[in-house]
Amino acid sequence: MEQILKFENVSKSYPNGVHALKNVSFNVKEGEFISVIGPSGSGKSTILRSINRLIPISGGSVCLDGVSVSDQKGRKLRELRRKVGMIFQNYNLVYSLSVLQNVLHGCLGYMNGIRGVCGMYSEDDKKKALALLEELGMEQFAYNRASDLSGGQKQRVGIARAIMQEPKLLLCDEPIASLDPSSAKTIMDLLRDMTSKRNIACIVNLHQLDVAVKYSTRIIGLSKGEIVFDGVPSELTDEMIERIYGTSRENLMIGASANE
Amino acid sequence: MNKRIPVGVSGQKKMYTAFIIVAVILFVLTTLYTNFNPMTLIENGDAFVSFITEDFLPPALPKSSRIPGVLSSVLVTLALAFSSTTFAAIFAFFTSLFGSEKVSPFPKLAKIVRGFATFLRNIPALVWAFILFSSLGIGTGVGFAALFITSYAFMVRAFVETIEDVSQDCVESLEAVGASFPQRVIQAILPSCLNGFLSWFLYCIEVNIRASTIVGMVGGGGVGLTLFTYIKGFQYDVALSIILLIAAMVIIVDRITGRLRKEIAK
Repeated sequence: MEQILKFENVSKSYPNGVHALKNVSFNVKEGEFISVIGPSGSGKSTILRSINRLIPISGGSVCLDGVSVSDQKGRKLRELRRKVGMIFQNYNLVYSLSVLQNVLHGCLGYMNGIRGVCGMYSEDDKKKALALLEELGMEQFAYNRASDLSGGQKQRVGIARAIMQEPKLLLCDEPIASLDPSSAKTIMDLLRDMTSKRNIACIVNLHQLDVAVKYSTRIIGLSKGEIVFDGVPSELTDEMIERIYGTSRENLMIGASANE
Repeated sequence: MNKRIPVGVSGQKKMYTAFIIVAVILFVLTTLYTNFNPMTLIENGDAFVSFITEDFLPPALPKSSRIPGVLSSVLVTLALAFSSTTFAAIFAFFTSLFGSEKVSPFPKLAKIVRGFATFLRNIPALVWAFILFSSLGIGTGVGFAALFITSYAFMVRAFVETIEDVSQDCVESLEAVGASFPQRVIQAILPSCLNGFLSWFLYCIEVNIRASTIVGMVGGGGVGLTLFTYIKGFQYDVALSIILLIAAMVIIVDRITGRLRKEIAK
């Protein structure tokens, strides 16, 4: 399997003196579905955002598809970023635009000049976007304002926008943290199905241990900016959970399915 | 034993008490410093009342030959306010894109941009008018410039805050998509902030209608200058009609912009 992402001794310290990441190393291969778990402030968001350089790293190297991310600027950086789809906890849509326009934003990385700026998308792109919306069961909302949707529907638009990029890697920053349990399941199922169908590697930041265990092919546990666990879900013992969260399992709110 | 149970946030009551004491002391001291004496008002009250009743009342119309001139001066004031605000809004939009660390492609410059706007804004339009009239001479063009500078600076600050409030999230997502800066501006910032921008723009028009009257008085032309001419000519009764006309103009514009802002907020 092709290796897509390589983290080598990555560290990140913020100007306020916080060391968010300390010597983090891991690799991601094609088709993997990785959950990153850890308490708030352990560096989960920083890891995701250093992959597409929304946050510049302070040390080490991040290699995406064989190219070092930190050396890229301008057009080259845009080309790297469009290989990486991203999904956010707060959906981060442009709420005054239509659902279809939001999905088409996924093409912007491929467009240059006035056509890209003014949003003059090709008919092929529009067909592709509509097909994606249909696949996600959202075709009847294509011309609604994004602000009129429910949380689960907004996140589906977020997924469509990310898949529209034809990414090699999908980053999900707590995709279900703002959703009700039923929408959360829909979104996790969609993420797993759509990425495995297209052979896209997926990294998901999660607070829900049971979800991580159920969906992932691999789990990375973070504590205070360091990787303390990296393995398949079955290896995630109570002892490991205690190392990640710094407290024993009884003190954690964990959904029922993790105990099955 | 019958001690009352406190219900407020601890320490809050003390803070408010201290605040009120300081405010009262400041009020007394500052009033003494300004030599304000309510007695002078009362002693000279007769003169004031007779000035109002004899010189100002009843309002009189200007000579019929002058009426078209007065009305066109109102139009000049309205036009001055509207065109300078519109011009300022366009420039402020482009400047504000560089005024936020979170959105600007040159985050290090953002502080300088905001500082520059704050500096311009903290000098009132009237002072700008005097500075510009002294160097460039009087006229509507210079009045335009004075209004432009202050409303430009004000809108830069307001637009930057709107951008940071409204579009930070979607700018981040478009950055992740690989969108270029112009694409982020047109596809994310503009659609998500447009209503906010328009609302600030309309507010600025309200402010500038008043400001353009005052800037007009000191040499910018328009209805302000007309009013000033009548006051200087001791025609106070005519001046009163013009003051009423100005009040009507301001109220009408306020109602229109207020209504539009409500529509936008929906």
